[in-house]
Amino acid sequence: MAEERSGIKNSGLSAVVCAFTLLLICIMAFAIRLFSVVKYESVIHEFDPYFNLRVSQFLAKNGPYAMWNWFDDRTWYPLGRVIGGTVYPGLMLTAGTMWWILNSLHITIDIGTVCVFTSPIFSANCAWATFLLTKEVKGTGAGLTAAALIATVPSYISRSVAGSYDNEGIAIFALVFTFYLYVKTLNTGSLFWATANALAYFYMVCSWGGYTFIINLIPIHMLACLLAGKYSAHLYIAYAPFIIFGTLLAASVPVVGFNAVMTSEHFASVLVFAVLHVFALVAYLKRTLPPAALKAATAAILTIGAVGAAAFAFLLVGLVAASPTLGWSGRSLSLLDPTYAGKYIPIIASVSEHQPPTWPSYFMDLHVLILLIPAGIAACFMPLSVPSAFLILYGVVSVYFSGAMVRLMLVLAPAACILAGIGLSEGLHVFARSLKHGVVNMKEEIAKAGEEDEDEGAEGASKEVVKSGSKEGARDAAARASKKKSVKKRSWEKPWWTRSEGPIPFEMAAVGIALALLLMFFFVLHCVWASAEAYSAPSIVLASHNPDGSTHIFDDFREAYGWLRHNTDENTKVASWWDYGYQTTAMANRTVIVDNNTWNNTHIATVGMAMSSPEREAWKIFKSLDVEYVFVIFGGFVGYSGDDIAKFLWMVRIGGGVYPHIKEPDYLKHGSYRIDSGATSTMLNCLMYKLSYYRFADATMAPDGTSGYDRVRRTEIGKKNIKLRYFEEVFTTHHWMVRIYRLKDVPNRQKGARKKAAKAIGSPKKSNKLPKSASKRKSRIGGLRF
Amino acid sequence: MDPFYYLLQPLFLFLRPPKLRLRVPKVSLPSAMTVFALVLISYFFVISGLVFDVIQEPPGMGVIQDPRTGAQRPVVFMEGRVNSQYIIEGLSAGFMIVLGGVSLLALDAAADKSKGRNTRLGFLGAGAFGFWFSYQMAILFLRFKVPGYLVNSQ
Repeated sequence: MAEERSGIKNSGLSAVVCAFTLLLICIMAFAIRLFSVVKYESVIHEFDPYFNLRVSQFLAKNGPYAMWNWFDDRTWYPLGRVIGGTVYPGLMLTAGTMWWILNSLHITIDIGTVCVFTSPIFSANCAWATFLLTKEVKGTGAGLTAAALIATVPSYISRSVAGSYDNEGIAIFALVFTFYLYVKTLNTGSLFWATANALAYFYMVCSWGGYTFIINLIPIHMLACLLAGKYSAHLYIAYAPFIIFGTLLAASVPVVGFNAVMTSEHFASVLVFAVLHVFALVAYLKRTLPPAALKAATAAILTIGAVGAAAFAFLLVGLVAASPTLGWSGRSLSLLDPTYAGKYIPIIASVSEHQPPTWPSYFMDLHVLILLIPAGIAACFMPLSVPSAFLILYGVVSVYFSGAMVRLMLVLAPAACILAGIGLSEGLHVFARSLKHGVVNMKEEIAKAGEEDEDEGAEGASKEVVKSGSKEGARDAAARASKKKSVKKRSWEKPWWTRSEGPIPFEMAAVGIALALLLMFFFVLHCVWASAEAYSAPSIVLASHNPDGSTHIFDDFREAYGWLRHNTDENTKVASWWDYGYQTTAMANRTVIVDNNTWNNTHIATVGMAMSSPEREAWKIFKSLDVEYVFVIFGGFVGYSGDDIAKFLWMVRIGGGVYPHIKEPDYLKHGSYRIDSGATSTMLNCLMYKLSYYRFADATMAPDGTSGYDRVRRTEIGKKNIKLRYFEEVFTTHHWMVRIYRLKDVPNRQKGARKKAAKAIGSPKKSNKLPKSASKRKSRIGGLRF
Repeated sequence: MDPFYYLLQPLFLFLRPPKLRLRVPKVSLPSAMTVFALVLISYFFVISGLVFDVIQEPPGMGVIQDPRTGAQRPVVFMEGRVNSQYIIEGLSAGFMIVLGGVSLLALDAAADKSKGRNTRLGFLGAGAFGFWFSYQMAILFLRFKVPGYLVNSQ
């Protein structure tokens, strides 16, 4: 069916054109992601990619076995982190393999460069995989359209620009490729493709935590097909080997381990596995037993099976209900119940990517595709086959999950491109067929008209011969007149609803194709604009425009990390909010307390408590963690709105979640966090406030006498004369965006320390008392009093 | 024979079963049209940002102060921010988008030759106009939210 539609003449030329178009699509997919490399430099973006870069560098230097066994002591001090067991290794292994191949060919590319360009290469691969998947379901035309759409769709570009070295860059390719192999197995029923499907699923499990989408979507599809009565051998071969091999392979990945059989995310696959075997058994019995025996067997199975299933369900419900989250992980549960994270896990709720999307997110990320998706779904319904049902389910499920979390718009992107590609390609089929029929018929009719004119000419000649006979002349005249009436009108002179060639008339098809091309032009325009303006920002480097149009670059982050790298001892510990942990370990090469992995809520809460406490308590907390340097991000000088004061509410909430003496109302004035004169005294005394605004008033003296105007909060700060007694400022970057402080040391002699020690031991003060003059001497070494 | 029959037979030696007309209800799969309608309705709600509305609880419409008169004026669109919306704004944008999708289905119905002339003309006109209109409205709404839309900064 698919092949009939791809062309009347399925010659080699069509295959060559198809391959060439696909090559152009892959080149477009690669090129549209290079804006940030062109605008700035070949640099890794954001936060998470820096950790992936560091692991890739370790892998390139020491090999894969060292990476499996790596225990990283330079992060989450003093806990450390088991890298081998907590990282999805697919991305690093992929980039490492490409680096190794290139280097063994003596193309000595640095691992950093390979990492920057991994995502664009794999997005080109994803376009090709989307072509294969859509071709399996609906034919070559739909395949090419879907591939062209996914090469440029902004939602996918946002997570796979050059420099965004993150799991999603290769995971989306793995996702589409796994789905392609699944549909191929459904269509062919061959065990070879089923094995390939399991191996592709293994690659997906290695790459991204979102593999649970596959292991839940395929069972849902399988269940829908079984309930619709479509059980067949192909279905069995597509599902059963995939589940067995796939689960075994997934359990081989250290990050997943026994989660593959114990968590609720995998539960659906096992359940549908059992259901599939029940259907298989029923089909087998129907084939082999005579009708009477079949009835008895059915009755027996139903009764025994009902009792057994009830007992099993009871046991299962008991097991699942024993876990407070019903066996689901926190992130998965927040997908099913979007209100969960806000109530119980503030860290998940604080990440901006985990918020639900608004309608402009959909339009910005998918543009005209959201208008085309219903047409694609309708095209999949007519006719409804097992693969097209899979596409419909994929679309519906991914639309729901993307509605729960903005980050998952990425999983919707391939489904949207495939369905929109199918819808668009159906329309283009109608137009193209009508054009073809219209042209062919026009040619035929012109040829036929030529023959009729010749006949009439011959008639005219014979008329003159018989002009003498009046009777014959009258008869001839009558014959000629009747012949004129019976001359058929050309098809393009008839009203369009009576024409019988293509579905719609030729002119309408021409207009339709022109308009469809115009629509695609606007889509590409939008995609290129979104890629250039919205999604190519490396957050490590910021840019703004001067009034004369030139760009001003803010490179403060790298300046600060470079300072740390060159001016501190190699084993010093640096504390900051968890957002900057990965960048600090990768670029500054110093040990950090907390980083973006956020696996230990209590440790993060400790840092949050320190940031929200007064200076002395904060000093003690940091000293207990062996920290020597603390840095904060401050945006008030230049107007950078993503600074630590803006994130302060999360420090209070997360800290307050673990340490009850941190109470959020202490920092709020009339329900909002304020730093101006209306701020609470707890806020004005906390470490974050002091470290952010130390010397700020002196540095921002305005001509009219005001000072300390915070450009982000748009107000003057409340406390301008800040003195630090336990910290000293060691470095502030050019635009004041990163401010590094050092903890002052404990002085050698402390006032009252001997009295305190004596009290603690319990011995009378008299015997240990020094002469009065000595004990009363004030100890002010370093200005610290303890 | 049904084994439960044999199990329950002794019970009916002294109990008289009532005369009931029970039938096993016939469960059939919903038609494709029903499923598609459900899909379209859920699609409308998700595209309108329903989950955002439920969690963040934005107001139905916003209010700004009119600069001339000083009175409070309701406003439908939250301008300038992509990551936030009002409820009515989400629903109206979702309506435009679903209208665009349905227009394509109308265009497909116009190509069906078994219908009469007027029906086909009607579908064609409605589909073409609906698709063009919904696309233009969606772009207009987006310009409210993203002021620098399609403006190159370099």
